[in-house]
Amino acid sequence: MSNSNKYDTAFIETFQVDAQQLSGLQYQDIKEWDSIGHMQLMSVLEEAFSVELDIDDIIDFSSYEKGKEILSKYGVSMANE
Amino acid sequence: MNETTDTSQVMSFDTMGIQACQRNRYPLLFVDQIVEAVPGKSARGVKCFTYNEWFFPAHFDDEPNVPGFILVECLVQTFIMSFLCIDEYKGKKTNFVSIDNVKFKRKVVPGDRLEVDATLDHFKRGIAKGHAESYIDQELVCQADFVVTIPDVLDGFRPKSSRA
Repeated sequence: MSNSNKYDTAFIETFQVDAQQLSGLQYQDIKEWDSIGHMQLMSVLEEAFSVELDIDDIIDFSSYEKGKEILSKYGVSMANE
Repeated sequence: MNETTDTSQVMSFDTMGIQACQRNRYPLLFVDQIVEAVPGKSARGVKCFTYNEWFFPAHFDDEPNVPGFILVECLVQTFIMSFLCIDEYKGKKTNFVSIDNVKFKRKVVPGDRLEVDATLDHFKRGIAKGHAESYIDQELVCQADFVVTIPDVLDGFRPKSSRA
């Protein structure tokens, strides 16, 4: 599974959303992405990509797109897949 | 991995010590003693029931026994001691996220001494996951899996920007 697919799957399974809803999705846009959902998403992503996210990055992780940018700092690239 | 991995310090708490760690109070405090707490790992608690408990006359007048929701509270109040005994979290309020796989195996009546074994499976960023079982004379009474949060801790990880 590509990194993009893993990333999308984390959102889809954590928040029970469709792939079509992901683009532009921001924290608290949907009721499932609340503070608890946010922590669950962080845990799923950490496990999926074998990384440990820094607290500042967890706080900055405010949207679907921003998350990709943050993960790239941990060597998780989703470009050109 | 749990945030606290130093399990070398085994603790115990009397009722005042318990109340220094957690915020439950009469008439909703359902653990008398923590006989062993391993910070970030586990807790063992005791709750003794007498007919003086406020709920026995109502549940039921002709057959007093402990209501199921109180048996679940007994489990979770011991469970939360596995992380609220850590200095950083002492005195913080907790909220339920989920209770799963709850099973009741026998009645608890006045005179019973309930022993609770709780295990903290995962604790990170204010979210605790684990399970607990209770016993009377080594006979299983009740068991459940829990996810519990510390809202104060969770808030520290909330994204700054949102549309809400």
